[in-house]
Amino acid sequence: MSALLEVQSLTAGYGRIDVLHDISISVGTHGNVGLFGPNGHGKTTLLRTISGLLKTKSGTITFDGKPIANASPRSIVDMGLIHVPQGNRLFPDLTIAECLTLGAYTKRARADEAANREKVVKIFPKLAERWRQKVRTLSGGERQMVSIGTALMGSPKLLILDEPTLGLAPKIKEELCASVLDISKGGVPLIVVEQDVEFLLELSQHLYLINHGEVATEIKPGETMDHAEIMALYFGQ
Amino acid sequence: MDATAQILFGGLFQGSLYAMMAVGLALIWTTIGVFNFTHGVMMMLGAYIAWTLSEIGLPFALVLPLVIVVMAAVGWALQASVVRPLIGRPNIVLVVVITTLAAASLIENATLEIWGPRSKQLPPLIAGNTTILGVGVSLHQIAIIVIAPVVLAALWFFLNRTRLGLALRAVAQNEDASLLVGLNVKALYGLAFAISAALAALAGIFMGGYRFMSPVMGADPLLKALIVVVFGGLSSVSGPIFAAYLIGFFEAICSYYFGLYWTPALLFAVLIVTLMIRPEGIFGSKSRGLA
Repeated sequence: MSALLEVQSLTAGYGRIDVLHDISISVGTHGNVGLFGPNGHGKTTLLRTISGLLKTKSGTITFDGKPIANASPRSIVDMGLIHVPQGNRLFPDLTIAECLTLGAYTKRARADEAANREKVVKIFPKLAERWRQKVRTLSGGERQMVSIGTALMGSPKLLILDEPTLGLAPKIKEELCASVLDISKGGVPLIVVEQDVEFLLELSQHLYLINHGEVATEIKPGETMDHAEIMALYFGQ
Repeated sequence: MDATAQILFGGLFQGSLYAMMAVGLALIWTTIGVFNFTHGVMMMLGAYIAWTLSEIGLPFALVLPLVIVVMAAVGWALQASVVRPLIGRPNIVLVVVITTLAAASLIENATLEIWGPRSKQLPPLIAGNTTILGVGVSLHQIAIIVIAPVVLAALWFFLNRTRLGLALRAVAQNEDASLLVGLNVKALYGLAFAISAALAALAGIFMGGYRFMSPVMGADPLLKALIVVVFGGLSSVSGPIFAAYLIGFFEAICSYYFGLYWTPALLFAVLIVTLMIRPEGIFGSKSRGLA
């Protein structure tokens, strides 16, 4: 099975400052991919480069067999690679229904709009109750649900979630984690950045520790690793 | 009766023109987060192009759509030349004030160069006069009072009930999120400018039909539109529409009771009081994330 997404020797960053140095990851060969590591070490930068928000300085990104490095975010979304950014404030003055409609904006997704909407309602029944409510009036958890729901409206072939549970209350977090697991079981492969190691281990089979803009450790399925070891990687010995 | 009718009529008429102008400013502010000082010259240019087209003998029914299309293209080109290259820079709001002011000055002087300083006038939309409630009015003005709300309602429908309008409203709120659902952000910015310029041009044609045209004819309406958007708030497109009619009525009342001389001063008093008491505008919301 060839990789759905292949990042090879990628270097990228902001302005003259490189954040990622020669980073390589491969997604889709061993189930969901989890990225973890200390804050400020390039996880979000990596995801933003993959989805086209940031330019690549060198290296290649291949999705579904086609090169996507430096392609426009629009064409990348149209191919089915969909990114739910961190702490997404989404569109504060749009209603939930409007956000979901926007999620299906690409031609490819428009065909499945009705079916996808049903899927989203099934995964997040809460949203259906407040269809006409504006995003700015929602709680953090609900907003995250709208963000993920909007992404699902785009018929993702690969879904990127950047810290979906960031800043959520424990009970809502649990609910959201269950929904994300549902989405994964529904057949959408994921790349997840997550600080909650338990959740990350439950969700993903293939892990990368990102440190100083490089892959410090790769953990493939079978090479299981317990909590203590991950903690050691995280915080040092 | 006479006074009421006069104020009512004057307010509706001024309000219609101001609404057509203000809504274009608001559209650009809400989508791109910049203030467009070329809005007045877009109005003027629309009127001048309409004048040239009707001089060469085209019927007015053809001139109107032609000018709208041409001015939409001009608006798009303007956006591509003096706004788009600056997007993403720090201080974009201030920089765009300067670039659009510069562009306005260039276009104004180019107009003077091309068309000359002699005042011109466009034919009215409908010729003739009538008397309503004891007040003599031109049919041209009646036409504007009727057409403006139709145009504004069409714009509202476009923004709130179509997919493209939804995209235009979304781009304003979060550029990254817009990119990540696959919106063509650059094209939407261009579209906002195109619609705005077309609306200004239409207002220019309306104005050229009852007042003499000059290269600086857009300056006063731009100023009034500025008062309207500050008064009404810039967070939506419907706020400035209502505000435009309120300001129109206010102006009509002022000029009836205090005279034309005092009216601009009173309008600016409204502007200053609004900025002091409710800087987000009477229909604006406090928490907007733009700019």
